[in-house]
Amino acid sequence: MRRWALPAAALALVALAVAVLLVVLQPAPAATRQEQARALAAELRCPDCESLSVAESRTAAAAAIRAEIEEQLAAGRSPADIRDTFVARYGEWILLQPMSPLIWLVPIVALLAGVAVFGWWLRGRRPSPSAPTDARDIAAVERQRIRDEADLLDG
Amino acid sequence: MSRLGRWRWLLVPVLVLPISWLLFTGLGRDPRTIPSPLIGKPLPSISGTTLDGAQWDSASLAGKPALINVWASWCAPCVTEHPLLLDVARRDAGRLQVVGVLYQDTADSAAAFKARHGDGGWPDVDDASGRVAVSLGVTGPPETFFVDAAGIVRYHQVGPLTAEVLAQQLPLIGIAP
Repeated sequence: MRRWALPAAALALVALAVAVLLVVLQPAPAATRQEQARALAAELRCPDCESLSVAESRTAAAAAIRAEIEEQLAAGRSPADIRDTFVARYGEWILLQPMSPLIWLVPIVALLAGVAVFGWWLRGRRPSPSAPTDARDIAAVERQRIRDEADLLDG
Repeated sequence: MSRLGRWRWLLVPVLVLPISWLLFTGLGRDPRTIPSPLIGKPLPSISGTTLDGAQWDSASLAGKPALINVWASWCAPCVTEHPLLLDVARRDAGRLQVVGVLYQDTADSAAAFKARHGDGGWPDVDDASGRVAVSLGVTGPPETFFVDAAGIVRYHQVGPLTAEVLAQQLPLIGIAP
């Protein structure tokens, strides 16, 4: 394995991680109240159906949450505030995305750790320089052993 | 080999332990059970019109322990738990308030349910819009909130009440068996 391959792979993964973070953390552009309501509804899980956002669901609970989002935005509260209100009632469960975007780094860190362990294992497998490495050396060692044993028999 | 060999024993704790921990704790959890963040917090302010047409506000609960029961006539487990609620309301009348929240249902169906399964006489807030349920963080009936005299939520039962749940949780809101 070439010496630079491992560091290069690690560097590429770090670059990927940074790119993911930048995409996840980029601030939402300023929006109209309707767009804000729609964006917030898309972040919340519909409480009485599975795996749908409040924006997509047509259940009564989703409609009630949309109505409440509209009201609170009209009352001048920020989307982050309103999100916190729902988290306080339902728990983090209500959020379709985890609170901390750092969680997205976990698979990348796990991959890096895997690469590191694999590299370490490869280094461990590389034969030590003192050991015979090709067929001719092995033959030499064998010949020497046979000679030694013959000497023992003669002696 | 010698480099790895010396550390090979580490493989067991580093790989096996976290994976078994994940399997034991993660897979044992029911993904449908939702932790209740309201426990230990004041009951959110809720209000609405009862089936009798009266205005009801959670401020009226102050000073007395309460059970807030979210139910619907179409909800089968609500039928199972109903006799327990009737029992508790009768037994602890005077020191415990029971309030129903009718979840996504019609007044007619609710009346039919009470005629068939018994009417405890407690107020039922008609939550056709779902706003009360959303204020409480309800995901589906039956759910019951145990609120103490100070207005703090002490327990949140998701699913039907049982005699065991009542015996264990009522003391938390100051109702000794």
